[in-house]
Amino acid sequence: MGGTLRVLAGASTGTLDPQVAYLALTKSMETPVYDTLLTYPKFAGPDAQPVIANLAQAVPMPEDGGLTYRLTLREGLHFSDGRPVGVDDVAASFRRMFKVGSPTAGPYYSRIIGADLCLKKPETCTLEGGMETDAQKRSITFHLRRPDPEFLDHLAWIHSVILPADTPPHDMGDIPPPGTGPYRITHFDATTGMRLERNAYFHEWAHDAQPAGYPDRIEITFGLDSESEVSAVESGQADWMYDNVPLDRLGEVGSRYTGQVHIYRLLLYYFAMLNVNEPPFNSLKVRQALNYAINRHAMAIYGGGPAISAPLCQLLPEGTPGYEPFCFYTRGASPQHPATTWQKPDMERARELVRESGTAGEKVVIVVPSDRRSGTVADELRGTLDALGYKASVHFISSAIHFTFVQNTNNHVQISLGGWNADYPSASSFLNTLFSCDSFHPGSDNSPNMAGFCNREIDGLMDHASDLSLTDRAASEHAWAQVDRALMEQAPAVPMVQTRRVVLLSKRVRNVIVTLNDEILLSQLQVQ
Amino acid sequence: MLTSLLHRLGQTLFVLFGISVLVFAVFFATPGADPTARIAGRNAAPQTIEKVRREYGFDRPITVQYAIMMKKLFITRDLASYANRGELVVPEIVKAAPITASLVCGAAIIWVVGSIGMGVLAAAMKDTWVDRSVMMLGLVGISIPVFWLGQVANMITQNRYHDTWLFSWVPGLGYIPFAESPLGWFKALVIPWFALAVMFIGIYSRVLRADLVALSEEDFMRTARAKGLSPSRILLRHGLRTAMITFVSLFGMDFAQLVGGGALLTEVVFGLPGVGRLTYQALNNMDLPLIMATVMYSAVFVVVANAVVDMLYILLDPRVREAR
Repeated sequence: MGGTLRVLAGASTGTLDPQVAYLALTKSMETPVYDTLLTYPKFAGPDAQPVIANLAQAVPMPEDGGLTYRLTLREGLHFSDGRPVGVDDVAASFRRMFKVGSPTAGPYYSRIIGADLCLKKPETCTLEGGMETDAQKRSITFHLRRPDPEFLDHLAWIHSVILPADTPPHDMGDIPPPGTGPYRITHFDATTGMRLERNAYFHEWAHDAQPAGYPDRIEITFGLDSESEVSAVESGQADWMYDNVPLDRLGEVGSRYTGQVHIYRLLLYYFAMLNVNEPPFNSLKVRQALNYAINRHAMAIYGGGPAISAPLCQLLPEGTPGYEPFCFYTRGASPQHPATTWQKPDMERARELVRESGTAGEKVVIVVPSDRRSGTVADELRGTLDALGYKASVHFISSAIHFTFVQNTNNHVQISLGGWNADYPSASSFLNTLFSCDSFHPGSDNSPNMAGFCNREIDGLMDHASDLSLTDRAASEHAWAQVDRALMEQAPAVPMVQTRRVVLLSKRVRNVIVTLNDEILLSQLQVQ
Repeated sequence: MLTSLLHRLGQTLFVLFGISVLVFAVFFATPGADPTARIAGRNAAPQTIEKVRREYGFDRPITVQYAIMMKKLFITRDLASYANRGELVVPEIVKAAPITASLVCGAAIIWVVGSIGMGVLAAAMKDTWVDRSVMMLGLVGISIPVFWLGQVANMITQNRYHDTWLFSWVPGLGYIPFAESPLGWFKALVIPWFALAVMFIGIYSRVLRADLVALSEEDFMRTARAKGLSPSRILLRHGLRTAMITFVSLFGMDFAQLVGGGALLTEVVFGLPGVGRLTYQALNNMDLPLIMATVMYSAVFVVVANAVVDMLYILLDPRVREAR
């Protein structure tokens, strides 16, 4: 195999620094460039979890009740500049995460002893007491201040990639540091594109963790709109469009290029987030009413139709550990008598709840990102709110700032449209991040709990579900399902649809492997 | 001469200062525009957000932030984007400028030749069916939005008929540098040139026709006719030259604003990484450094073009020359 794989992407990758970058595109492009100690399996199917060993020899067992993790670094690893990988590089990489202000340094790694100090004074970060290394034995030991049931997932998360110890402690921007994967980034320009070429020092150590790549080169061009990307792939000028196929081209792509289309499920869903601290959604009855009233079938049609978009009634999307299907808010169902799937809206019940709440006639502004898919969804939602007796209007806001705008309580957003996908397949990435008291920061642009929902009892259920995973994975997943139900009973959001991703590849591309965590594996695509 | 030059320079600086203050103020007055949280990443720890705020200087007074940005943009020229960290905005513009220039110059040649041809033809055949058809065609050109025309051209040449003999020569969307392949450069640009030129041909030919028709009643034209000059000589030598005054001033401004980034839609539709697309990208990302740099670049062009047009007036119109 060999050849050049030509990829198209609408926007650029932000920063190339793997410890800072937080865009899906960058993650996808850098998966075959950088490595973490552990990783999600690089094979297809729902079994591609839990994490497996990557740069480490084996997945560690938690010791001391989940406070200690011991790993051994594999032998014979090299960076793309030829230097060997040692435990010093591992230790330095974990310290660097704090020094460069990695976005997940706080949420994912703050339970390591010494991390508190590192967050406060990053420039002098040592992680003393939290990390021990032994160069002779190639061992790395982590000590946590309290158990982190998802610590193994965090050791597989991209921000904990291992870089050379002398990598400068600042965001590297457009200069890629050397990595350990089968490719290295040899060219980058934020406006035009980037190139990946083979890393001569790479030798496959574990096929399921970091497989050797097929193409000799991967050329990624930035800047075409998705319409033009479709045309370019159809005519064979490019091999893979990273962006979604736009809705108006789905018919053409599905009928004329069926063999080149891949559809797969994503852990991504769309919702209307209800601010539980702003009227009228500070009333539980109103939140439940809107959940009863919303036409999820229409929302699925706006999302591209039943082949790629399905109604969703709960806060965990299908495929997430802990997902147990249920629907409280559909005709003939209630939190006490749930249905399994969504049937149709129940306007009578919804109107009754609104009447009981005494809020009919109030003004409601829906804050919507100005992107392709949100306009029609917002119109449908406005119609539903009007039908319930509210004076609803739609307020569009630039997609670039919508996400931070709706998080800030100072902006008094009543209801907003949005979507959420997990960093890695876990229930906590959805439920804890979006609805726990810890992720609600009033007055801050960074408060992922957009509903402003804080319920100590449900927080307790989340902690319990999380702790269970250290000992009994199945029980933990069931406990998360209970959290999902408990939250939906309080209805801090209106989940609407879960979507599938439609990917178009050129005729000459083979060996498309879609994994649960990394989606399509770039390095495994073969070009003929 | 020197005084007027200094006067111009002063004016330019004043305009640039005003625009930069406006861009800066509007950006920070926009609710939710604070880039700190976006740079820090979703769900970042409060300490990480503070670190970003300090590092980027967002905790300093707004006037100090403005001064630092201007220093980085104009003096040290190391102003970096907030969205694509490490991307220095000045070199990005320097890289994008030749692409925009290639697009706009090519289109300008087409629209100048096309509109003069159509305008003169319509004026010469005033009130005949030729005049009416040509002007109707111009109106159609004005009415077609460039993004629609571009998309349709793409659909035909890149998609539906790409595999036919007619359009198999069309390369994929994007730019091919002249130095890499002059033929490739031409092929990549020829469709965008026409797409961009269509509207301007419509406007300019209508303006030119109206001017030529109005001028034909002027004293100097009547004198020329009385002298027995041939109609074509009167139209081209006397009429057209005078009518070019409006044409040139229009052209100067349009050309400058296009070179400054006004060909945004064309560049986006055809995937040309020029200044316009850079502006589009900056606005999409709410990326203040890049917005500031592209706006400044555009403003410089418009102000400079104004000065050039004023000078061309002197060459074209003897009345202006004599009055000085």
